[in-house]
Amino acid sequence: MTTNIPITSDPNTDIACRTPDMQERSLLRKVIDRIADRCRSRSLFILHYCTGCGAIELPPTITSRFDSERLGIQPMVTPRQADILLITGYLSVKTLKRVILTYEQMSAPKYVVGMGSCTINGGMYWHSYATIKRLQEYLPVDMYMAGCMPRPEAIQQGFLQLIDNIDKGKAIAWQDYYQQYDKYLANQQALFGPDWHTPTDVIAEARHYELFTEKTTGEHTALLAKYASKYVTLQHEEHEEIVK
Amino acid sequence: MSNQQLPEILAAVFREIPNLVFTEQTARRLRVELRPDTLPALLELLKGRAGYLHLSAISCVDWPELDEFELVYHLWSYEVKTLVSAHIYIPKNPGRYVSVYDIFTPAAFFERDIHEMFGVYFEGSPDMERFILTEWTGPPPMLKSFSSLGYVEETFKWEQYSPDWLKEIQANGGGIVE
Repeated sequence: MTTNIPITSDPNTDIACRTPDMQERSLLRKVIDRIADRCRSRSLFILHYCTGCGAIELPPTITSRFDSERLGIQPMVTPRQADILLITGYLSVKTLKRVILTYEQMSAPKYVVGMGSCTINGGMYWHSYATIKRLQEYLPVDMYMAGCMPRPEAIQQGFLQLIDNIDKGKAIAWQDYYQQYDKYLANQQALFGPDWHTPTDVIAEARHYELFTEKTTGEHTALLAKYASKYVTLQHEEHEEIVK
Repeated sequence: MSNQQLPEILAAVFREIPNLVFTEQTARRLRVELRPDTLPALLELLKGRAGYLHLSAISCVDWPELDEFELVYHLWSYEVKTLVSAHIYIPKNPGRYVSVYDIFTPAAFFERDIHEMFGVYFEGSPDMERFILTEWTGPPPMLKSFSSLGYVEETFKWEQYSPDWLKEIQANGGGIVE
């Protein structure tokens, strides 16, 4: 079948193809973001990373006793379809690697919720050589739920607060990961060694979301380019600097 | 406890091993101490003659005041129904011992674990690579000479947290209980 629809080439005559000016664009974007945030906050999928003991509080939270689905929150099995990454308790250095891999696979906007004292400052595992202490050094955390463990009521309260934050556009910690990727990567490299990398090209994603700042790249992402050049796309001038 | 009270099958095995001392800790629980070079023979005899098919675990103890590691082999027989814990002491330096993988296959995991946590090398064990602590580059962490708290304070950052609301509570005599 052949089509004979005429294509207008002049962008200023066709309303659909017109390029909005920056002022108009930002206003439009604000309205759309506002609507999207409202919708998003009503339908959240949790990816629960249950290596810690906090996982035991999740079944009553999610099932009929407290029923978080009435808030629009449901568990999800894959990172790519999930909105919330729920870290339920302590993370060992080994599991933190997996969490970072999982987090980077999630599509933005994404929210990290640290549940229990262990994610805040190590909790009762402060003396342990094997667990990380403060989750926010490695991933941008939107919300902590304090407690050892927080009861389902506290988790529900936290979810309600998170919903409110998303609705008001305040849950924007995921942008910080792109804006200050070098800082997060520095902390990750301090634990895993200088050759640590994930298959995700975070710098390219930062450019895609227009969140690229001068803090996105730095001396630590330069190491990334050295050890994981096949995963990282660099601007030409940056690459030449590294080659030099 | 005399040899007469032991099941004869166990007493016969113990008679074969020189310098073996055993004490009955509770009913069905025997503590056996012996020389390190005779341990493989004891395990072989227990397995072959008394039905000790189950090596439950190998434990390692780092005694800070001794220059020796204590290795404990926990064995169970479904026929004699008595737990035998065989204790040996090996010098910390060089910290090498022979593997019992050829007698009990599960020993491979226990030995690999002890190698990772205490640094004891088991000759003849099939795999002495990293087991659980794949990200770990420091000294064996279960050694008493390793300061876990020192490592944590060196590696992880601590941040003082004193928000205004907490200061108010502390001014009124409350606050965080240390």
